[in-house]
Amino acid sequence: MAKRSVLATVTLISLAPITGCSSDAPALRNEAPSLIDSTIPAGYPKGTYSERAPADNALTLERATLGKRLFYDPQLSRTNEVSCGSCHQQQYGFADPREVSIGVDGRTGTRNAPSIVNAGWGKTFFWDGRVDSLEEQAGQPIENPLEMDLTLTDAVARVAADPSYVEDFNQAYAEAPSSSSLQKALASFVRSVVSGSSPYDRHLRGDDSDFGPQRKRGEALFLSEKAECFHCHPSGSLSNEGFFNNGTYTAGGDTGRQQVTGRVGDIGKFKVPGLRNIANTAPYMHDGSLPTLEAVIEQYDAGGRGDPTTDPQLKPMALSSEEKADLLAFLQSFTDDALLRDPRFAP
Amino acid sequence: MKWRVLAMLCAGVPALAGALGCSSAAHDDERLAGGAAGISGVGNPSPGGGANAGGSASAGGGGVTEGGACVEQPAPQRTQGTLLSLSLKPSLTNLPFVFGQPNALADGGSLVALNLRFYVSDVHLLRSSGEPVAVDLVAESGVPEPYGVHLFNAEEADSATLRLLAPSGDYSGLSFALGIKLSCNQQPPAQLSDPLTDVSQMTWPHTGGFLFLRYEGRYTAGSAGASGASPTVNIPPAVHMGGDIRKELVPGVSVSGTFSIPESGRLEKALNVAMDELFKGATADIDVSDVAVGLLSAPEAVAGERLRRQLSALHVFVFAP
Repeated sequence: MAKRSVLATVTLISLAPITGCSSDAPALRNEAPSLIDSTIPAGYPKGTYSERAPADNALTLERATLGKRLFYDPQLSRTNEVSCGSCHQQQYGFADPREVSIGVDGRTGTRNAPSIVNAGWGKTFFWDGRVDSLEEQAGQPIENPLEMDLTLTDAVARVAADPSYVEDFNQAYAEAPSSSSLQKALASFVRSVVSGSSPYDRHLRGDDSDFGPQRKRGEALFLSEKAECFHCHPSGSLSNEGFFNNGTYTAGGDTGRQQVTGRVGDIGKFKVPGLRNIANTAPYMHDGSLPTLEAVIEQYDAGGRGDPTTDPQLKPMALSSEEKADLLAFLQSFTDDALLRDPRFAP
Repeated sequence: MKWRVLAMLCAGVPALAGALGCSSAAHDDERLAGGAAGISGVGNPSPGGGANAGGSASAGGGGVTEGGACVEQPAPQRTQGTLLSLSLKPSLTNLPFVFGQPNALADGGSLVALNLRFYVSDVHLLRSSGEPVAVDLVAESGVPEPYGVHLFNAEEADSATLRLLAPSGDYSGLSFALGIKLSCNQQPPAQLSDPLTDVSQMTWPHTGGFLFLRYEGRYTAGSAGASGASPTVNIPPAVHMGGDIRKELVPGVSVSGTFSIPESGRLEKALNVAMDELFKGATADIDVSDVAVGLLSAPEAVAGERLRRQLSALHVFVFAP
């Protein structure tokens, strides 16, 4: 326990001034004093914030700061026009407000960029879960021809040509820029983007000042066998990190997880997203095909779009208009306004 | 202490209070938790038996007991022994049951498993004399698995092996709990580590606690089924067993079969997981209305409760020839 406290203290001190916030401000978003020492949003798996990072990429101020610089640097795209932050926009909960994300030369893929908030607790990454570390994840969009279309070798060469970057890499990793340290730095920044001060988080900590009766009714419905949201979005983390066909897939579409595993049973399965700031991350689903949360609720209420691959647990729910409104109010309680405006995570 | 989580749920989620039994009766340990003999009705092992220094465990009284605290790093039963490696191999009508792929059925239809996972804990080997010997479930590194629990997840090949550190000798079978003990079942997942977190996909927040076994699949009828003829096996779309913190529900499994564990090296064996037996239990025509009420009335929960009650009469787990 003592070790954990020391680690947490080091983390707090080291991350505090990422973008020049006052030295006495807590480093990560969390309003509950009892949780500041661990910086874990309520309901998340135990273990300190720092412990979520791999041993060879311990989280430090220098690494997260370097990662932020890289995250917002369009030099990491072939055309010098697209950065990670182009598709993971802070005001939209670090997701993409466009139906599908747009890369260099206006190229489009088939998926809507998911939020990176609280990704430090992730088990796998991308909608199809094809990688299992943030470090590995960080390199793929750079090299993807539909996204940033730049080899990691070229990306490293670009930053290595900038003496200030060389100094930053030296400070962070005691080495010259490399593809490994570049990916590690990006992962460190992503790991630092933590949301834990929404009305829902405060509710989990016993503060219902912004969690009234309608939200409570919505929560009860969310956790019930009628709506069954909890099967995939358990309390707290709001994602079980699994892969499910939630009824969005239709024949001929993006087969998702099946492209990774080759299993017939995985056709149309996509990773269950966490729902932090969900009211700000429209459009929804892997393909951005649902423009509003109301549309999401309607699709689930209908039991999906009718494809036979839809998860058998999804059935028409026959929710009343009041129940839909309650669910919507509950989903809106996941909005962490402070995170969306926090200058430490801004360009 | 054991009612802390239930109390939290009762206080924190008023809408669930009635269904969870948040009344004074819910605190009646005798009624809800203490009556082990009448709880599961199956031939349970004795998780609470506790091994002595020599590595043997008491046989217990036949019903599942609470089995002590939920400890993430349990003290090992022994530090030396031979590794018994048990490969868990799902099967259907004596053929390999391939996860995520169509498995042919006798009616010409097919079955695709979408989710199959279960917990194993409290493993005992049975000496030829009948004496149970508590053994550790260990990770590949040799250290006991957290909480003494193993999660089989058909999506992850690494989870398909049970590793037991056991003393050498001649044995006539083994037993284990298909689930987790009550003291773990009552803990909030956020305060636990893998395999007892939400990532397990076994947490059940509306009732608290964990599922012990979870199955979901997609059955496509063949021509025989489409014409009304029954398939060889009645197949439920989903089976959710467990998921209730109010009672000690974990069922026991006994597997017969002789084997000898050498003094050194390792022994590898395979344990078939007969899905047709599992489905048979889940679709058994038995009344479970005393438990399957309110929040537990979903068809998959009813199927799970039927399976739980039938488990001792089934041969879901069988040593492979």
